[in-house]
Amino acid sequence: MPLHLKLHTTPEVPLEAECICPDRMRGLSIDDINRLIVFHGNREMHLADFFECSGNNDGDIRVAGDLVNVKHVGSTMSFGLITIEGDIGVHAGAAMSGGKILIEGNASDWLAPEMLGGEIEVRGNAGHLVGSGYRGSTVGMQGGEIFIHGNVKNETGHCMRRGLIVVGGTSGDFTGVNMLAGTIIVIGEMGTRTGAGMKRGSIISLTKTSILPTFSLACNYSPVFIKQYLHYLLKKGYDIDSKIINGHFERWCGDAVELNRGEVLLYAD
Amino acid sequence: MSENIKIVENATCTFCGCVCDDMHLHVDVEEKKIVKAKNACILGRAWFSEHTIEENAPAAMIDGKEVSIEDAIEEAAQTLVNAKFPITYGLSDTTCEAQRQAVAITDIIRGNIDTTTSVCHGPTGLAFQGVGESTSTLGEVKNRADLVIYWGGNPAESHPRHFGRYAVTPKGMFIPGGKKDRTVVLVDVRKTKSAPVADIFIQPKPGKDFEILWALRALVKGKTISADIEEETGVSLEVLQDLTEKMKNCRFGVLFFGMGLTMTRGRHFNSGALLALATDLNEFTHFVAKPVRGHGNVTGADNVVSWQTGYPFGVNFSRGFPRFNPGEFTTVDTLSNGHADAALIIASDPGSNFPKRAIEHLKSIPIVVLDTKQTDTSKDAHVAFRTSTYGINTSGTVYRMDDVPITLRPAFESPFPDDEKILTGIRKRVHELMLARHSANGAIGEAKVAAPL
Ligand code: SF4
Repeated sequence: MPLHLKLHTTPEVPLEAECICPDRMRGLSIDDINRLIVFHGNREMHLADFFECSGNNDGDIRVAGDLVNVKHVGSTMSFGLITIEGDIGVHAGAAMSGGKILIEGNASDWLAPEMLGGEIEVRGNAGHLVGSGYRGSTVGMQGGEIFIHGNVKNETGHCMRRGLIVVGGTSGDFTGVNMLAGTIIVIGEMGTRTGAGMKRGSIISLTKTSILPTFSLACNYSPVFIKQYLHYLLKKGYDIDSKIINGHFERWCGDAVELNRGEVLLYAD
Repeated sequence: MSENIKIVENATCTFCGCVCDDMHLHVDVEEKKIVKAKNACILGRAWFSEHTIEENAPAAMIDGKEVSIEDAIEEAAQTLVNAKFPITYGLSDTTCEAQRQAVAITDIIRGNIDTTTSVCHGPTGLAFQGVGESTSTLGEVKNRADLVIYWGGNPAESHPRHFGRYAVTPKGMFIPGGKKDRTVVLVDVRKTKSAPVADIFIQPKPGKDFEILWALRALVKGKTISADIEEETGVSLEVLQDLTEKMKNCRFGVLFFGMGLTMTRGRHFNSGALLALATDLNEFTHFVAKPVRGHGNVTGADNVVSWQTGYPFGVNFSRGFPRFNPGEFTTVDTLSNGHADAALIIASDPGSNFPKRAIEHLKSIPIVVLDTKQTDTSKDAHVAFRTSTYGINTSGTVYRMDDVPITLRPAFESPFPDDEKILTGIRKRVHELMLARHSANGAIGEAKVAAPL
């Protein structure tokens, strides 16, 4: 039986609760968990002031309640499973290196910034800067996989270096901006300025999008690796037409103002 | 007009970021009015001549009732100390000395500090951090710049003396012919009143600045750009190639940019693209980029908040150390998301110019306001202080838009205290209250300061 955390008092101001993480709860009794520190605005409080805690502490945590104002859940986690039974606030899964976070509702901005490994699945939408670097950082996500079934906003995968981000719906502007490497797949439509400043990496879209003047069309082909990815996504629950899986893609090289070794692949049929 | 006229030489106009420090003010000492402001532009003249003091206005109010300044300071301090997510905002129309006190207060109460930068050149602040800045003073521009590009701004109306004092017409050490020796380019989506000054006017489609800047970067780097660019951006490839050649072949080029660039789609990436273009051009010649800042001391706010916290705006102290995250800790966000539970507003009026959701939340929390006049924000304030005007009644330091500090020479005294005095009072009182709270929690010695709340 997992550890259940149920929000009993809605925070009046943002609640920073990075202690909701299997690593920080490892080996603790329920009493110890209740005494873990959270920050309610500028006040240090205990987890029990907001959450009712029950069940077994075995690395599997289920969190329930209105969590839109709860930040940093699962930050730096390296193992286990956190299931969010609704929406979650900013910085969920920041710098996580292992384990899985399943968000049954929507995620806010800065989902898994600077992620190193592990997996995040969002059944709903996510905000800006999914898998990005923090402001001032030159490297974003460095590993792991993020699966979003809904839409995302701007700057998805900002300066990501490795890993996979999949968006089932639409993405905003600057998808893969300043990307160093890694893969982003967007099934729905993308906003403008995709891949601006990218050095390497692949941005794959199953719909047409506007391309920056600093990208050039290289060829029209049917790469095997995209087929592999799309089969993988079918297994992950995404709905993809078999016509697309076997279809052709335009390969746009860019960004010419940088190394010109990145690629934007657009479904062409 | 009385006979008693005082002349204040080399006074400073703090109306806009040009911070012209060559004003000759004629002050009617009895009437407490500036009757003439020699050298001021039309905006500066209005700033000085329309400055009046409402002698009978209360210096301090709690919930609309006049109180002593001491009582108001006590109530302001209690309000801020009792809050869990207090925010400090404004700061661009006050002195650096007052800004210092505001940062100290926010640090002590573990609040969130942000300046009006976040709603004007905040994206530029982000871009500085991400891209860097090739910069210079306006003095260097005056003396050296032979190519001046204005992008997304209308200085003729917003900073009227920018052309005449710093960048277009003045004769400089290496620009003896003034305007004759310079090429001026204006890039804007509208033909504004600045256009006649420009030798070359480029009018892109709205929201296409990033694409144009990106194409210019590619051309500067010798890459090929398709002629389709005209269809997308409204600017032909020939125009971009010509501009590229001009930029690469000038002796000293400068890119001035305004909110037409920073506040349109792409925001910090637009600023970043322009800063990166200036950096790229330094492979060929000397090129700098400067934001054209609006408020008189918004540059000072960036400087003070940076040297006290390490970050220019959108800084949060709730964990006891500064954290920077625009979008999370910027005031429009802390208010729109309903996070702030008290506000200290200094020389700004978010109650009239913020988004509706932010204003609604602002009205629902206790506000402490310092302003020289009644504003929409001060009307709703729990504690309101009326303060004297910087530059006219109060001395202090302000930073010009090129980060040059300038000392103010006030024209005449005001019956109201200045921002620094009020903020120093609040700072002292919140410090006492926090130490008392920590002592009550059992902390002693150094731990009293560092103790958790
Ligand atoms: S340009 Fe700005 S600072 Fe100079 S006089 Fe005009 S309003 Fe004042």
